[in-house]
Amino acid sequence: MMEQYLDGYAQANGLRDVDTRLKLLLGLGAILISLSSTTPWTPLFIAGTMAMVTLFLAKIPGRLYLTLLLIPLSFSVFSVLVILFVRGGGAPLFIFPVAGISLTVTTGSANLALLLIARTLGGMSSLFFIALSTPMIEIFSFMHSLRLPPAVIDLSMLIYHFIFVLVGEVISIYNAQTIRHGYTSLKRSVHSLAMLGGMLFIRAWRQGEELITAMDARCYDGKLELPGEQKNTRPVLIAYIVSYLAGCGVLSYFSSSLVIF
Amino acid sequence: MHIMEGFLPLFWCIFWYIIALPFVAYGVLLLNRLTREHRDSLPLLAVAGAFIFVLSSLKLPSVTGSCSHPTGTGLGAILFGPFLTSVMGVIVLLYQALFLAHGGLTTLGANVFSMAIAGPFLGYGIYRGGNAIGLNTFVTVFLAAAFTDLFTYVITSLQLALAFPAQSGGIMTSFVTFAAIFAITQIPLAIMEGIIIALTFKYIIQARVDILLKLRVLTKDQIKKVQESLA
Repeated sequence: MMEQYLDGYAQANGLRDVDTRLKLLLGLGAILISLSSTTPWTPLFIAGTMAMVTLFLAKIPGRLYLTLLLIPLSFSVFSVLVILFVRGGGAPLFIFPVAGISLTVTTGSANLALLLIARTLGGMSSLFFIALSTPMIEIFSFMHSLRLPPAVIDLSMLIYHFIFVLVGEVISIYNAQTIRHGYTSLKRSVHSLAMLGGMLFIRAWRQGEELITAMDARCYDGKLELPGEQKNTRPVLIAYIVSYLAGCGVLSYFSSSLVIF
Repeated sequence: MHIMEGFLPLFWCIFWYIIALPFVAYGVLLLNRLTREHRDSLPLLAVAGAFIFVLSSLKLPSVTGSCSHPTGTGLGAILFGPFLTSVMGVIVLLYQALFLAHGGLTTLGANVFSMAIAGPFLGYGIYRGGNAIGLNTFVTVFLAAAFTDLFTYVITSLQLALAFPAQSGGIMTSFVTFAAIFAITQIPLAIMEGIIIALTFKYIIQARVDILLKLRVLTKDQIKKVQESLA
């Protein structure tokens, strides 16, 4: 379970020392350009380039990247199928007779389906870039500089801390249940999982109560301090990112009439 | 069920951010007041938030064979009420996007509305309603958790239908098709989540009933009644 968490990879990635704001600018900028494109070309270009940046500059293992790409797939396949057959618009392209009703794919729906696949790929690869190149700790500093309410930032940081504590608990409870044949049938699985949930909640609560004591002992006064870390923002990097985003924007503008069907 | 990054058009991303904002803002207000008045509440809310996150990343035994995860927000709504759950939901959904690559940043508003606002509000209503008419506690918890999950998926279908209406038949046709297709995985999932949360609740009552009393989830009389039925 732990190995699915991307934060561990982000801690050790090749772009760890680049300013957080620049990485967020690149990732979010690419997502927004992807979303405002009206044909699949630009989102596909973004998907390809962002994947290369993540794999070669941030040095993320390719296997991990491929398994990550499978996550959006199941959602997209269902949703794109609905759009393909229900949306309509334009001339009929294919007609499938299924059980007395004929399912029609039109040019309008085919174009939209392709666009959505491309946008999801572009968006997800930009999201992967942010997730795999920026550790959460840096995002907390960024939230701090946005002047979000301190209670929200503290809550986020404590939740972050407890996620790892609880995952450890889950692994040990789950292993203990498995070696006692806790997950051999559906009925047992339901009982074991519920017991795991209950125990997890109780142990989590105890951890919380212990933390209150620990925080009081260290004079917590309603705000956790973050050690601010100033990083050099190299002008060259800003220039690269801005010109990349501008290039994507131009590509998006000129490819807007290149529809496929 | 998370809407993936890049799937919603820009207009609808902004639309759902704006709809979700007042709920979350009120939640933050409550959070601020709560942490000022009871300084011990922040760590406890944090463990609850982490609990929701970890619960939602567990795989449920699924009948249809697809990999399915509980939302976990139903239990949050029962314990902390819908507004605080919405704040925890925002943080949890952000972590899901950045830790697990589930969901996204531009679709965060839409996902927050379906998973951390609409679902929990209904679940909280069902829990309070069931308590008021004296329904069995476990049945109430089951219904609240299952309907939180179901309503979340109905809202997600609606969000997709609004963004992509059918040219013939409009939003309704689109909504029915999305809902019907997702129902295959979501209805068994909702029932499973209801059962598991109800049983989880049972273990909490057996081991640490004082938590539920402190959060005013159950009254003393209700706890007595439940403990008698379990004994």
